[in-house]
Amino acid sequence: MKRTHLAAALVAVLALSACSTKANNSGSPGSDSSGVKTGKGVTAAEVTLGVMTDKSGVFKNLGLGVTQGNELWAKDFNAAGGVCGRQVKLEEVDHGYKADTAKTLYPQIEPKVLGFVQLLGSPVVAALKQNLATDKAVAAPASWSSELLDNPYVMIVGTTYDLEMIDGLSYLQEQGLIKDGDTIGHVYIDGEYGKNGLRGSQFYAKKHSLTVKEVKITSTDSDLTNVVTGLKGAGVKAIALTTTPAQTGSAVAANKALGLNVPVLGNNPTFDPALLKSPAAGALDKLTVVASSVPFSADLPKAKDVAAKFKAAYKETPNGGVPYGYAVGEVWGAVLKKACDNKDLTRDGIAAALKQTTSASTDNLVAALDFSKPGTPATRQVYAATPDASAEGGVKYVKPLFEAPEAKEYVAPHQK
Amino acid sequence: MSEVDTESEPVAAPRPRRGPASLVRKAAWLALLVVLLALPLYLDAAWLKAGQYMMIGAVGAIGLTLVVGQAGQLSLAHAFFLLAGGTAYTVLSGPIGDDRVVGFGLDPGLSLLGAVVVAALLGLAFAPVAGRLRGIYLGVASLALVFLGLYFGQSAEELTGGTSTGRAPAPFSLFGFPFTDDGPEITLLGVPIRQAERMWYLFLLLTVLAFVIARGAVRGRVGRSWRAVRDNEAAAAVMGVSVMRAKAGAFAVSSAYGGLAGAMTVLWFDILKPDESEFGTYGINVSIAYLAMVIIGGLGSVPGALVGALIVNGLPQVLALYSADLGWFSGTGDGALTPVLVSSFVYGAAIILVVLFEPGGLAALGRRLTRLRRQPPEEP
Repeated sequence: MKRTHLAAALVAVLALSACSTKANNSGSPGSDSSGVKTGKGVTAAEVTLGVMTDKSGVFKNLGLGVTQGNELWAKDFNAAGGVCGRQVKLEEVDHGYKADTAKTLYPQIEPKVLGFVQLLGSPVVAALKQNLATDKAVAAPASWSSELLDNPYVMIVGTTYDLEMIDGLSYLQEQGLIKDGDTIGHVYIDGEYGKNGLRGSQFYAKKHSLTVKEVKITSTDSDLTNVVTGLKGAGVKAIALTTTPAQTGSAVAANKALGLNVPVLGNNPTFDPALLKSPAAGALDKLTVVASSVPFSADLPKAKDVAAKFKAAYKETPNGGVPYGYAVGEVWGAVLKKACDNKDLTRDGIAAALKQTTSASTDNLVAALDFSKPGTPATRQVYAATPDASAEGGVKYVKPLFEAPEAKEYVAPHQK
Repeated sequence: MSEVDTESEPVAAPRPRRGPASLVRKAAWLALLVVLLALPLYLDAAWLKAGQYMMIGAVGAIGLTLVVGQAGQLSLAHAFFLLAGGTAYTVLSGPIGDDRVVGFGLDPGLSLLGAVVVAALLGLAFAPVAGRLRGIYLGVASLALVFLGLYFGQSAEELTGGTSTGRAPAPFSLFGFPFTDDGPEITLLGVPIRQAERMWYLFLLLTVLAFVIARGAVRGRVGRSWRAVRDNEAAAAVMGVSVMRAKAGAFAVSSAYGGLAGAMTVLWFDILKPDESEFGTYGINVSIAYLAMVIIGGLGSVPGALVGALIVNGLPQVLALYSADLGWFSGTGDGALTPVLVSSFVYGAAIILVVLFEPGGLAALGRRLTRLRRQPPEEP
């Protein structure tokens, strides 16, 4: 240690105190010439929306698909004239599915954006819950738990895991695969996602006097053979899954290998087209997936349009995230236009416009959405689909949008 | 703690330096503190958030370096004590009468103290195990605590809020002064001191306290007894050190540090959310990250633990912030270099380099460099 160190440190301190402190550069709220109120994330020419996604972690395939869907929507929206004479710009960051990284990136992106068109990952959404409320930023999480709806700034595009399960079980019953009084198994990941799915099957079971054999697993469990063996012993007539795609593969493979061969029902995140190339590919025929957004290959004009645009723009393998990402964009577009009509493009204006949005249409990419009742899922309709290697996106749907009568009666945890 | 004060020369104790060199050293620490105090006036909230995360790492790593480096007990249970401290703070400061979760409605400052005490007691409870095992056996036994924590987090929903929603901790306040955007408007040199800045100062205070106390312990009788036990239990016992007590004390102190880091973690996240699998905020990966900090910094070195925390906790954060700003490592899909990946490589490489070339870690490297300058290298 030398005196030079001391000198250097002191110089550093002096140098620091000589530069100016951070300027107070929060965009001062104002109005433009046409009387539209603006605030954070809105300039005279642009409206900036945030994307906090996972491009490098466990959900990078989904994250990439949703982000590409968002980008396709922004391109179309701007080509159609944008909103209030402004173009939409996306500000994207990658948090790698790590809540701590997201928590640090949030203050960096928050002052630049009006709201978030994508927040991916339930740990991330949970960590940012408080921030969204404090900053009044409307966000669309790529997580469909109805537990999130206690936050008025959370906009879930599509239905929630509990309602997916209710609708799915009613579909199985309608097909004659299960009947009142049967025993069914439900394998779920202990957490936001799994517990929300379980709420749905428990509700349906009560209505139809089913016995639910609950099996709690963690997201890192890879082999479900023993779980399925146990369910076989319990004499289940169907298996419900609220799991990761890899676990779905293991469960359906065991279902076939053990000669159980009962129908398997999965929430929307349980299936990834990659399963069709996995060893479990031959056992996927028993699987039905329920989701509120369409598969990539859906036979709908809008879905075909999005698929064509995707192929023109990107080289990656598409998944269900693409039409979903586009649909979230469409909903944001509807909310932006409403806010523009109200002449209020501030965050408060967006939150108010969201509450007035009673029929956001996405041309059936997602069922029509009603955001006017806080705490209530915006739709209770789902598609049912089965894996199909010949279809692009890996699934074809077996039943178009429908809503089970049981789903109508269901009361979500934060429904008022 | 030894019953009999020994006059013998302690093993590998840092020699207290006097004279001008120590003055310069003190001045350097002081200058560093001044810089840290001034930073909130220059850095944006995102960078302050990253800095706070490094301080959490620093507090936890100081605690771990005491038990692993000074007392020679390999512990992989650090993440468990983080969860314990975080849960204790949230429960003690939580509102009374919530029908979903338990709360005691205590003052947040008291709750923070309570979190430290609860974690220390849990560490003491594990001491009988820690006292009987050594090396890798203790490492594996302590790893069990992380799985215990995972189970506890999932099943004790009244305390932790459960994995599906978690629960929000009470915002921190000290003697009625809130560490949020509310309360009195304070400006310093034209900079409004809001939540990010206030939390920075709070975390800095806690880190400085943790640092000073650890330095005191290492340089005092307590540290001597820990090192004696680490180097040779029989010899330590002969010199009058109670081996069991020294081991238990080291474990309790380290757990207390873990508890403080845990309480800081829930304050930093604004939520206590137990993990859904063994990897997460309180999972194996965190235990290993803390071990990495301690190894990179140099086992047993308190300043080394600070540098280790800077590298292991800071690098991913800083790279993520830079990559968002400058478009570095913004590749996507398989095989892309991302901030998280790059930082894993860097600290993995750092561990290998340390183990191969400088087992004493960065602390030994620092000592060597300062010695090089004080005296010309001797010819072998």
